[in-house]
Amino acid sequence: MNALFEFLFKYRPTLYQEGDFSFLSPWPVGTVALVAAALAVPAVLTYLRARGRSSAADRWVLGLLRGTALLVLFFIVMQPGLILTSVVPQRNFLAVLVDDSRSMTIDDRDGSSRADKATGLLDPEGDLIARLDEGFALRYFRFSSRPARVDGVNALRFGGSRTRIGDALAHAQDELQGVPLSGIVVVSDGGDNSDEAVGEVLLPLRAASVPVFAVGLGDEEMEADVQLSRADVPGRALAGTSMIVNVLVEATGYAGRAVPVVVEDMGTIVTTEEVTLPRDGQPLVAPVAITLEVPGARELTFRIAGQPDERVLENNELHAVMQVRDGTEKILYFEGEPRHEVAFMLRAVGDDESLQVVLLQRTAENKFFRRNLDDPLELVEGFPTTREDLYRYPALILGSVEASFFTHDQLDMIADFVSERGGTLLMLGGRRAFAEGGYQGTPLEDVLPVVLEETAGNTPTERLAFVKVAPTPAGTNHPATRIDGAAEESAARWDSLPPVSTTNVLTRLKPGATELLGGTVVQGGDGEGTDRVVMAFQRYGKGRSMVLAVQDTWLWQMDHTVPLEDQSHETFWRQLLRWLVADTPDPVEAAPASESVEAGEVVSLEATVLDEGFVEVNGARVTARVTTPTGEVEELPMEWSVTEDGRYTVPFTPDMEGIYEVSVDAGRDTVAFGTAETGLRVAPGTGEFRDPHQRRSLMERIAEETGGRYYTLETASRLPEDLRYTGGGITVTEERDLWDMPLLFLLLAGLLGAEWAYRRKRGLA
Amino acid sequence: MIRQLRPSSVVIAAVTALATAGHVGNPAVPDESLPPPQQPPHEWHEFYFTRAAYSSGGGGWGRRGGSWAIDYPKADRQFVTVLKRLTNLDAFNGENAVLLTDPAIRRYPFLYALEVGYMSLSEEEVTGLRDYLKAGGFLVIDDFWGTREWAVFEWNMRRVFPEHPIIDLDLDHPVFNTFYEIDEILQVPAYRRHYWSGRTSERDGYVPYVKGIEDHDGRLMVIINWNTDLGDAWEWAEQPDYPLQYSTFAFQMGVNMIVYAMSH
Repeated sequence: MNALFEFLFKYRPTLYQEGDFSFLSPWPVGTVALVAAALAVPAVLTYLRARGRSSAADRWVLGLLRGTALLVLFFIVMQPGLILTSVVPQRNFLAVLVDDSRSMTIDDRDGSSRADKATGLLDPEGDLIARLDEGFALRYFRFSSRPARVDGVNALRFGGSRTRIGDALAHAQDELQGVPLSGIVVVSDGGDNSDEAVGEVLLPLRAASVPVFAVGLGDEEMEADVQLSRADVPGRALAGTSMIVNVLVEATGYAGRAVPVVVEDMGTIVTTEEVTLPRDGQPLVAPVAITLEVPGARELTFRIAGQPDERVLENNELHAVMQVRDGTEKILYFEGEPRHEVAFMLRAVGDDESLQVVLLQRTAENKFFRRNLDDPLELVEGFPTTREDLYRYPALILGSVEASFFTHDQLDMIADFVSERGGTLLMLGGRRAFAEGGYQGTPLEDVLPVVLEETAGNTPTERLAFVKVAPTPAGTNHPATRIDGAAEESAARWDSLPPVSTTNVLTRLKPGATELLGGTVVQGGDGEGTDRVVMAFQRYGKGRSMVLAVQDTWLWQMDHTVPLEDQSHETFWRQLLRWLVADTPDPVEAAPASESVEAGEVVSLEATVLDEGFVEVNGARVTARVTTPTGEVEELPMEWSVTEDGRYTVPFTPDMEGIYEVSVDAGRDTVAFGTAETGLRVAPGTGEFRDPHQRRSLMERIAEETGGRYYTLETASRLPEDLRYTGGGITVTEERDLWDMPLLFLLLAGLLGAEWAYRRKRGLA
Repeated sequence: MIRQLRPSSVVIAAVTALATAGHVGNPAVPDESLPPPQQPPHEWHEFYFTRAAYSSGGGGWGRRGGSWAIDYPKADRQFVTVLKRLTNLDAFNGENAVLLTDPAIRRYPFLYALEVGYMSLSEEEVTGLRDYLKAGGFLVIDDFWGTREWAVFEWNMRRVFPEHPIIDLDLDHPVFNTFYEIDEILQVPAYRRHYWSGRTSERDGYVPYVKGIEDHDGRLMVIINWNTDLGDAWEWAEQPDYPLQYSTFAFQMGVNMIVYAMSH
């Protein structure tokens, strides 16, 4: 198509796009038009007079053909042309950026790798480089994690662990600042996996009139591939906590095939979950239940074995680092009256050394029983009255205690505990909870994930309903409600448990809340078969709130229908309480900017420091203690970032592969704010093999937004000529004649020929 | 601010409660030695003072020959009435006797049994009691005296829990300070015996003990009040000639055991 266009119009479309049309004739258009009109008058008169045998229609046709031919002739006489801006040969620079990352080693469908194609295209002895060399001073750069100037393609190793196209473009522009830069040629598969947005570097290029010419390499689609795209692994967990990790599986060409997802903890298989591969283009979220027992920084590997005909196997596995803690998390449980639920819940988690449920139980008016204390004075004055006292607990459970027990300040403080401290609030069902406890109109009404409605009955007996509890779809795969290994087994366990009672009427969730357990009324309440919300949660500010609206889960342990060896009740409470403290922030938090880097790559270790009231601290003494995989310890003082309150950073460059353990200690004077642990994985990254097809859309966007063009390997030969007229730098204005384009002569000949043929046919010749 | 109730407040509450105590709750007093199977409660409450109805082979002084029913239901009713005044426990205002073999017993995690020196458990009752306690139930034993009744009780409990020994509970055990601070174990006499003889002991049970049985995890499943009669003090606390110190101790001990059971 382009060849036909070029034949008819003399030049390629690019020149028409870049150039401005103009008549190059020295005579003014108006003058020529007047002369033409003057010449046309006798011709018209002659046509009008010489009627002969011709009809009116003949005269119209012939006049039209002759007039059009004269117009074409007039157009030619006016010397049409293109005004082009072209770069001055050998006066401009051209940056050639070549992707040096590992994804370039992927073999395409034709059997050759992208690296081979790139080196072939940019061969110093090749045609393309020779032509580019004629017009430009070439400067080569390779880029992956970092860009670097090189002498030529011979310096490429294709071993980079990341692709940072934006970074590379900015670097090339910076390095060639001050010289006439005609453009930048980028040769890549477009697999950018940096955290920075590419768009931010395109604007300066456009402002400096530096177009980017993108040459995209690699198959645009993979015909057979399985990929683990993401695993939602929490940053930390208590040892022994059962977690549900959602693994995103994508596949092309294997729809319906059942394959196992294997999960390893430091090389030891901890679970295997079978999944059915989805249809092309439809990602599958596979929930995988895992339990980690060994404390410390642990490397998790998720893997699906390579399938037949699969070319890229590196994206069949994922790695994540998780901090498994063997400490004890404290939970404050405030119960407003003696209840069996208290005893059974405490027993259920009694042997869990990771959980310490501090019980404050009101046993009579203004009389409290305390249990599981660290200090005899803990909670000695009852429920905390200061934020410092309340915020020391990551989670708070409110039992059957009426809202009027608390002062308004205390209710505000509990709401802030969730929204500002990031704590988790669990409100249990009971005769003094929810609307029945007068929480409507209090600050806690906003916090809770359910709508508090007016209650129907006056007494707990009138409101009493027994509900059969079942997990919702969300609850089936939630760590708090998965009470057995597989989802089906868990559902069967729930089905085997007896109904439990509630005196709270909860039927509606707030927008954004997630229901984990639903209840169907089997006795009492507002009729059998009606639905109740049993367990739900929502995010609220920095924290989470949850409700468990039943009051006697102890029946799941005590009822005669439950076998004595059944562990459902224990498992449920242990997992629920562990979930309550799973994501709650500590005063000191630490994490590397990237949890996985390569040896020699700089990574920023970051920490957030808060005081006991969870207010950011800027002047703290913060030290990162890094333990290498071989056990050597390095202490790094961290500096306040200045740009963000309470945030401290320090750069760190690991020099060996393995898992690094990082312990951050923060304090000021004699006050210790706390210690945080985190891990860093140092290993060759596999991110380069995620989505292994060519990201053509990104390459096209880079070209379009900077005024350049996108090329495939086949069309890359047009680069030199396009560069000549599209590039920036030192340019000259150039005129290109169009009067001699073949189309005009063909048109003229066609019109005259048609007139002659018409006359012959009509006998007028 | 946490405040410890003074003994005098216990007495005032008790006397007031007893004066106003009505005949509420389940009116059915068993005519036979064992009550009929438990019907679902007609009121929902968090706590039911549940009395274990067990086989006693015709011995004892209970109604129709059942030793389980000694002081029943007056002691139960009066104790619950006082219990509600002293604590904010939502308790069913009446008695609740349940067979050890009745599956419904598993709906009442607190169980009271007395006169166990005349207990003669059937195999079904042994199984029922063992499963009840293993499932999480809590049993309070009261009102049996001397070595002979101890031997009978111990024999029965060995059948229930051959693997768990009976242990002494010292005064530093939490059950003695869960609600009231109890620093001495008093021997609580039966009302009539004390009235006629002035003695507090019966048979050769001169020294009161509080013992217990724990499960493998150290959970206290059974509290055994031996050589003492808390139930009689509950039943006759309103009598002017019944010594205040005994009824006060009996109520304090009763409250402590229940609050302990509901928090441990």
